[in-house]
Amino acid sequence: MPTGLIEGSSLSKVYATATGPLVALSEVSFQVEEGEFISLVGPSGCGKSTLLSILGGLENQTEGVLLLSDKEHDGPRREIGMMFQTSVLFPWRTVRQNVELPGIILGLDRRQQAEEAERLLDMVGLNGFGDRYPAELSGGMRQRVALARLLAHDPKVLLMDEPFGALDEFTRETMNLELLRIWEKTGKTVVFVTHNIGEAVFLSDRIFVMTPRPGRLEGIVEVDLPRPRKAEIMRDPRYSELVFDIRGMLGVDH
Amino acid sequence: MNMAPPNLTSAATAQAPEAVAPPAAHADTIQKFLATELAKQRRERIANRAMAISFGLFVLLVWAIATEGGFVHALIIPSPFDTVEATIRLMRSNILWPNVWVTLQEIFWAFLLGLGSGCLLGVGVAMFAGVRATLYPYLVAIQAPPKIVLAPIFVTWFGFDMASKIAIGVVMSFFPMFLNTLTGLTSVDPNAIKLMKSLTAGRWKTFRYLLLPNALPIMMAGVKLCWTLAVLGVIVGEFVGASAGIGYLIYAMNFQLDIAGVFSLIILLSLFTLFVYQFIEWLEGRIIFWKQL
Ligand SMILES: Nc1ncnc2c1ncn2[C@@H]1O[C@H](COP(=O)(O)OP(=O)(O)OP(=O)(O)O)[C@@H](O)[C@H]1O
Ligand SMILES: [Mg+2]
Repeated sequence: MPTGLIEGSSLSKVYATATGPLVALSEVSFQVEEGEFISLVGPSGCGKSTLLSILGGLENQTEGVLLLSDKEHDGPRREIGMMFQTSVLFPWRTVRQNVELPGIILGLDRRQQAEEAERLLDMVGLNGFGDRYPAELSGGMRQRVALARLLAHDPKVLLMDEPFGALDEFTRETMNLELLRIWEKTGKTVVFVTHNIGEAVFLSDRIFVMTPRPGRLEGIVEVDLPRPRKAEIMRDPRYSELVFDIRGMLGVDH
Repeated sequence: MNMAPPNLTSAATAQAPEAVAPPAAHADTIQKFLATELAKQRRERIANRAMAISFGLFVLLVWAIATEGGFVHALIIPSPFDTVEATIRLMRSNILWPNVWVTLQEIFWAFLLGLGSGCLLGVGVAMFAGVRATLYPYLVAIQAPPKIVLAPIFVTWFGFDMASKIAIGVVMSFFPMFLNTLTGLTSVDPNAIKLMKSLTAGRWKTFRYLLLPNALPIMMAGVKLCWTLAVLGVIVGEFVGASAGIGYLIYAMNFQLDIAGVFSLIILLSLFTLFVYQFIEWLEGRIIFWKQL
């Protein structure tokens, strides 16, 4: 039986809270192949961030087994990078220094990391902004810096928790296109959390649909839209069909 | 005090890379706009300063009229002229400087030790669960009594010399530094912690690259409190029991009804404290430069 790059079986997560145990994840099983683009959708509180934290090794599951490249995975690793809804840039570091942070923490070669930072800033369209401070950038630009920082130490797996959730619709679409371009070029494995079903369909190979109370994996939707994808794909009837299927699974349409 | 208005010039001259040179006509308008805007800012700055100075002069005038005009007795409030005279007299005498030197040393050590111990314990309590569990309840509990009550005991313990004044200064200045360090180190974006964790950063790297710089603004506020309280502690100590120092001198002169001398000492002490305070604020602006962007 072929196994994926990431494999979770019956993952559960229970938090001990003041009001008793809280089941955030319940018996979630899945596989993620190398190079796949996966989206996690579901209503607020269904455990998306929790699952992502477990995938990142920041937290451990209460029950179940999680494998990365067939080996047990229970702590942070260099080959996994994380990005969040807020840019989490350090305001005392310039844009360039922010992108160089992962290299510094991981003790990578300084000169090579400096070149890499320059190349990445170029790639996310921030050529020439290296010496600015985060406070001088717009929200969209900050997320671009965060994207460059995410890629700085060349992780194989990108875990993104609503990375464009705080951006306006127009910027978000631009960022989606850029992310796809980068993903197609680099062949990274992506797990992408979003509230936006359209965004998930547009980006993903497969969509994990989750439902709350307790957080379960309701189903997995294959997105059989052709690649490479451009914005026009949203006119494709298949696109709307998938969006509506998922809305149905989430119980949005009554 | 940071009264400097937002710096328009640097924002306008820093070239955004994608910015294309504006057409000549526009460049002209922008230039003109900038010039008038800068002139306006300068006018405002001058006006603000003028208002502050006028107010100071006004207070001085009221003080002079009230005292010289005989509305207030000189033993209650000396006139500004008497105060200046007393200052000159003090500076020329050989009693001021030895006492200044004593107090300066006490303040220096009280501030340094208060700052150091506050930072150290703040870091300890924030970073190590064991330290937190052991010490935190006591560190908070010793804050309950007003620390001035310790002054007489400290004089008994450490004597009439500098040590007791330093001890009181430390006890008073330590806590805000401790609390601000602790608060600064623990008020951090949880996602930033997650980011550092995901990069496999350990305790030390997280501290060095995230927690410490993130805490600096709150810590600097603590430094300012620490400074003011160190001075306060030392002077209180000198009031309670000392044979030298500015506090001692103030006490003695007050006893001799040399109110003008007391006034001049109070003014000298205030000017000194304020001067160092301003220096700390200047330093603060340097250290946490990103707050001004
Ligand atoms: N550290 C924690 N302690 C206790 N409960 C937690 C903790 N983290 C998450 N939870 C709970 O687990 C559940 C799932 O939270 P999670 O953040 O994973 O949801 P989410 O799907 O990411 O939601 P959103 O879309 O709003 O970000 C929630 O009920 C939340 O209250
Ligand atoms: Mg979430």
